Formats: sequence, C-alpha cells, structure tokens
Amino acid sequence: MSLAGERAHPEIIENIKKEMGIDKGFIRQYAGYLKLLLQGNFGTSYYTNRDVLKDITAKFPNTIVLAFAAMLIAVPAGTALGFMAAYRKDGFIDKCVNAVSLAGLSIPVFWSAIMIMLLLSLKLKLFPPSGTGDARFLVLPALVLSIPAAATLARITRITVLDILRMPYINTAKAKGLSSLNISAVHVLKNAIIPIVTIIGLDFGSYLNGAVVTETIFGWDGLGRFTMDGIIKRDYPVILGCVITGTVVFVLVNLITDIAYHFLDPRIRLDAGKN
Amino acid sequence: MGNKAISVVITIFLLVSCSPSSRLEGYVYYRLNANPTTLDPALITDVSGASIAAKLFNGLVRLNAGLEIVSDIAEKWEMSKDGLRYRFYLKKGVSFINGRKVKSQDFKYSFERVLNLKTKSPNTWVFDKVEGAKEFQKGTAHEVKGFKVIDGYTFEIRLKRPFSPFLSMLTMTPAYVIPKEDIDKSTGPFILKKWLHNRELILERNENYFGDKAKIKGIVYKIIPEDLTAVTEFELGNIDVISLPASAYSKFRKDEKWNKLIISMEGLNTYYLGMNSSRPPFDNATLRRAVSYAIDRKKILKTFYENRGRPAQGPVPDLLRKWKIEDNDREGSEYDPLKAKAIINREGLSGIKVKMYVTADQDVVDLAEIIQSYLSSAGIAVDIKQLEWSAYKEALNKGEADMFWLSWWADYPDPENFLFPLFHSSNFGPAGNRTRYANKKADSLIEQGQYALNEKDRNGFYKKAEEIIIKESPWVSFWHRTDFLVIRPRIKGYRVYPIYTMDKGMDVRIER
Repeated sequence: MSLAGERAHPEIIENIKKEMGIDKGFIRQYAGYLKLLLQGNFGTSYYTNRDVLKDITAKFPNTIVLAFAAMLIAVPAGTALGFMAAYRKDGFIDKCVNAVSLAGLSIPVFWSAIMIMLLLSLKLKLFPPSGTGDARFLVLPALVLSIPAAATLARITRITVLDILRMPYINTAKAKGLSSLNISAVHVLKNAIIPIVTIIGLDFGSYLNGAVVTETIFGWDGLGRFTMDGIIKRDYPVILGCVITGTVVFVLVNLITDIAYHFLDPRIRLDAGKN
Repeated sequence: MGNKAISVVITIFLLVSCSPSSRLEGYVYYRLNANPTTLDPALITDVSGASIAAKLFNGLVRLNAGLEIVSDIAEKWEMSKDGLRYRFYLKKGVSFINGRKVKSQDFKYSFERVLNLKTKSPNTWVFDKVEGAKEFQKGTAHEVKGFKVIDGYTFEIRLKRPFSPFLSMLTMTPAYVIPKEDIDKSTGPFILKKWLHNRELILERNENYFGDKAKIKGIVYKIIPEDLTAVTEFELGNIDVISLPASAYSKFRKDEKWNKLIISMEGLNTYYLGMNSSRPPFDNATLRRAVSYAIDRKKILKTFYENRGRPAQGPVPDLLRKWKIEDNDREGSEYDPLKAKAIINREGLSGIKVKMYVTADQDVVDLAEIIQSYLSSAGIAVDIKQLEWSAYKEALNKGEADMFWLSWWADYPDPENFLFPLFHSSNFGPAGNRTRYANKKADSLIEQGQYALNEKDRNGFYKKAEEIIIKESPWVSFWHRTDFLVIRPRIKGYRVYPIYTMDKGMDVRIER
C-alpha cells in the first residue's frame, strides 16, 4: 500500500498489482522472478523505479574498496599480534594481546564506530566523519571494520603458532642451527597459513556483503546501506537483489580461498594422492 | 625494523588525513537524512523530496511566512461567487530553465499529468474535486474539463462543488508546473546541478529566476542517515544548519557556544494517542474520555519530552486554530486520575485489557511505557505491541490496534486538513481516520466547513466539529511538536517554516 502512497487512487493500486504480478499465484510469481533473474534482470526498485542491478553494480565497488581496506589493516595487525603473543606465551605481551583481542571481539561495531569518530574526527580533526570518496573518507570505516577481524586473526594465529612451535620439525630446524627468523618465516608461517587464510576468506566474504552498521554510521555508499534501506522500506526487489549478490560473492570468495589452499599447502592438492 | 614500519604507517596516516574537506564557496550546506525517492513533483511524498522540490519548482500560488496564500507564478486570481471557478492571471516573464515561457497550457499539462493514472501519482487526491477529473481517469474524456486554458496567460480551474481549502492545496508539491518537453526543466530559484544518489545533491542559483534571486550561489545537501554523524559534521563545520535530534538537544542547550544559535520552529502537527472507536472497549466515548483524564500529558511533555512542544488542546494545531475551544467539561483536558478511575469503575470496566501498538523506536516505546503506567493506575491494563514501521502502518490501517501512538503533519495550512482526513467517516484507514471514528454531526459540520466560502462561517463549523471531537475523544491529543535547529554563526537570515515546502531558499545568506 505504501508504494502508491497513503491516499492513492484505487485504480492505480490495481494497476501496480497487475504490473508486479501480485494478482497471480505464488508459484507463478516465483517462476516469473527466476526467469527474469536468469536473464540477468534483477527488476526495478518499488520506490525509485531504478534498475536494481545497476544500483548494485554502482555500489559494489565501494563495498569492495572498504572490504579491502579493512583487510589491509586487519591482516598485518592481527597476524603480527598473534605471532607476538605466541612467541611470548604467558608473558606480558601475550596477556595484552589476549585482552585487546577479547575487547576487539566483544565491543559492538556501533559503539567503536562512534568512539573512533568522536576521537579521530571531532577531537583530533584528522578525518572527515562521513561521506564516500577518496582515502580520507575510507580510513575511519575501514578501521572500525578491521577491529573484529584483526581480533579473530590474532587469536587464531596465536593458537596455531603455539601448536606449531610444539611440533618436532621445529626442534629439528633448531637443531640444524637455522636462524630463528628463518624458522619463523619458513617453518612456522608456512604451516600456520591455512587457518589464517580461512579466517581472512570468511571475514572478507562477509564484508563484501556490505557492512550495514559501519556503512550507515559513516555514510559510506555501499551495498550494506543499500540493503538496509531496502529492508526498512520493504523494497523486495532490492532485498532479493542484494541477497543474491551476497550469496554469489560469498561462494566465490570461499572458492578462491579453497583454490588458494592448493597453492599454499601441497598436502591439500587434489592430485596429491597420485604421487 | 620495527621503528621503520611504524614511521611508514604514521606517514601514510598523516598524508591521508589533515587535508580539510573542500567546500564550495558561497554554498550553504544542509543535511538530509535520506536520499529523496524522486524529484518529480507529481510523485513526491517524502519530506526530503518535497523540501528540495520547493526550491526547484513553482506553482500558481505559494505560502508566505504568515501562512497566507500569496502570488507565485499567478500574479493575481479571483474566485467566482459560487466558489466553483478560480481564475488565475499568470505573470508574463516566467520561463523554464530551457528558456521557454510558462503559459497556462503548461499548468493544464502538469495538473492533468498528476491525475493521469499512467503517471501513478500518489497525489491524485489533490485534484480529485476538479470538474471532469473522474471522467478523465476513467478514460471517458481525453482532457480534464475543469482545467481551462482561457488564453496563454489566463488559466481557470473549475470544481465540482465548492471546496474552501482548494487554494491552499495549490501550494502543495503536486501543483508545481513542469514543461511537457522535458519534465526535469524547472522554473524555481535553484537548478539541480548534480545528484549523487545516497551521497549529495547540489543546487545552483537560477540566474534567470523571475523573482528576487537567491542570495547564495547554491545549496549542497549532504545525505547522512545517522543523527550522531550529522551532529559531528555540523560541529566540524561541514554542515551549516542542522535539525537537532532529541539525543543531542540537551547537550547543545547547555553549551554556551551553541545555546544562542538554536532557533525553534512550531510545527503544524499533532501527536496523539488514538483509540479504535469502532469496536469495544473504545467504542465507548465515556471510556475514551476517561483515558484522557488518566494521563498527565503536561508532565510528560515537560519531563520526558524536554518541553520540545506545546500542549495540544485538540487535534487542530494552535497555529491554525482561529477560535477558542469551549469545553463545558473544562477540566476535561486536564489530568484528573480520580475522575478517570471513578468513570472506569462506574462503567464496570476496571481491569480490562487493551492492546497498544507502537513503532519499535526507543523514544516511542519509552513513552508507551509511561502511558501504560498511567492507565494501569486508572484500572486499564495495557499490553504494548512493538512493530516495524510498515507492519505498524498496515495494522493500523486495518484497525487491528485498540490504541496506537501516531502523529499527523499538515499537507496544507488549513484546519480542514486536521479534521476531514482524520475524523470524517469516509476516510477510515489509510486515508487518515485510523481510529475509525464516526459521528454524523461531526461529518456534516466538517463538510459544511468545506463548502463555506466565508472564513468566519468556516471557522464556526470547524470549531463546532472540533468541540464534538474533543468531547468524544477518539484521540488524546498530546502535543504539537516544536523542532529545534542550530545554525552556524556565519549563516544569516535563515528562517524556519512550519511546512517544509515553504522554504524556497531565498532568505539565507552567508556572511563573509
């Protein structure tokens, strides 16, 4: 009803129903939608009458940029913290990393977003609080988004590295007289990489679906805000379009992660058994 | 190595930061909380869209600061004695931005376009009292008989029956003129330069505007959905004017620097607790009246609502009410918990359970709990049901709620806009009468007000109608909300208007 407005002419409402196919049965509506989908047609928004696919393709690059930027902060920060904690197990650094990563995981994004905005934007005047555009606008949302990812990465890295440090081949490497840098870079990192890549893949995939809260607070014109607008207005073609895009992207990112395993760890190669 | 890495990070950080966000010189920066759905005057229903369209387009008449109807493109106009014909004489020097002169044919085209069902305008009701509108919509006529081009600069509108608020309805967004050849070409004081969806809109001064030209080079609207972000942008000077969200109100009030820069705007709106008058228990007018005794609205306004409004005497906003309400039961609008309890006991209704529907906004839920506690001491148990906005509207339109919290904002400044849609029995549900209140006497008084051409007679009918409605209390009218804005000191002359379509951006200027 809200489509045509509160006081719409009854005939306009009828016409809209006919046009959208609401007068037909559920199965036929569904089949109709699938058919359009296969033709690459996501339909048009109920409210703006704009092509949903066009809007998604316009906003998706922004979301990709934000996801990459967040990962660019999270991956080095998270893995470095994890390594440091593992090498200083039970020491001061380990305890600090533990506390920080626990905080990073448990602080809700809307709170950290507001705090970071108040500090870096309002008090220190380093970055603009909102908008979509060049790198200046990117820093705050990327920073906020990177916090939980970095926290997870730090914890996973720490546990994995600890496990590896207990392995006999590390002792062997030490016995061979290899430098500790060599051991860390070659033996530890190489073996720790699989769980790290898995986490990166999962987080990255979910960020590509749009970070609703972060994008809304920082006014970033990405997929998350677009989805949220669609949900609030019950703009079904938009919601469906976003969900489908999100699914495809998530599957793709996971596929890429799986392929990456193949290169990172020879034991996982599909043809490994043939040798 | 560690130090190197850190210094690299810091350098990058400094490179990206610091550069202040660039502002366009001579432009004023406003905030919108949502991307306008459309800027086609025939289709606009949202506040964002309408407030921008007001700066891009013109109609026959418009409202001045005193809520009087004054000339826009029509230089003058006259109404026939029977109130059926309005004749408008257009100014000769008005052009669209493509250079073509505005003539009466353009008004005929623009108005028929609104009525044309193919346009899918949600605003057809604005013109549905025009002679021949129905026939045109049914397809039995290829034009609307009541839109008559007398000559290039004389335009006449004929109505089916006298309708006194008609002229004030012509100040609304759907009554703007657009050229047939290109509906994006406007006439207004500003021209739409750029619209980056979900980011910003840039309006530039129309140098060929037929009236006084705007004092600023243009307007930039930043689309910022989050209130707190918008407040931060304002404090940083990236936005010049901001409507204060409730959460920031007391902070700005207490701040010496901002307190004197806050201006207020008494809005044409009424916030109310509606009761479904078409079914038990609230089909009982005595019980409804008891509910209005039971709630201390003034106290809620003062404490919970931080005085951000004026207490409502009835549904019609005080700015539009040209009469004095005589309530025989004078204390009726006052808080009287003992009387409320006595009535409820007398009616044998103590202990009844009712469902109150509210939206899921935290402010509204808090308020609902306050109302719940007042009613519970009066003997009515209220069960609060929270719904998301669309579902909420749908439930109200179907009449599912016993009680609900809602507001009504004026489309045009006439008491009729607060009586006919909201209380006339022909408007049940989405048209506005969500309490499903029906009273033959009130119906007839409201209709007589619509027919009456003399303002004094009209107000007489409206007054009587409002008195009946207050007595029967389908609504407990709470308050008329006042909005507060803060304006940066370098912005001068900014005015706020009770209706968002009134601001054509002509007053504001920037101090050098």
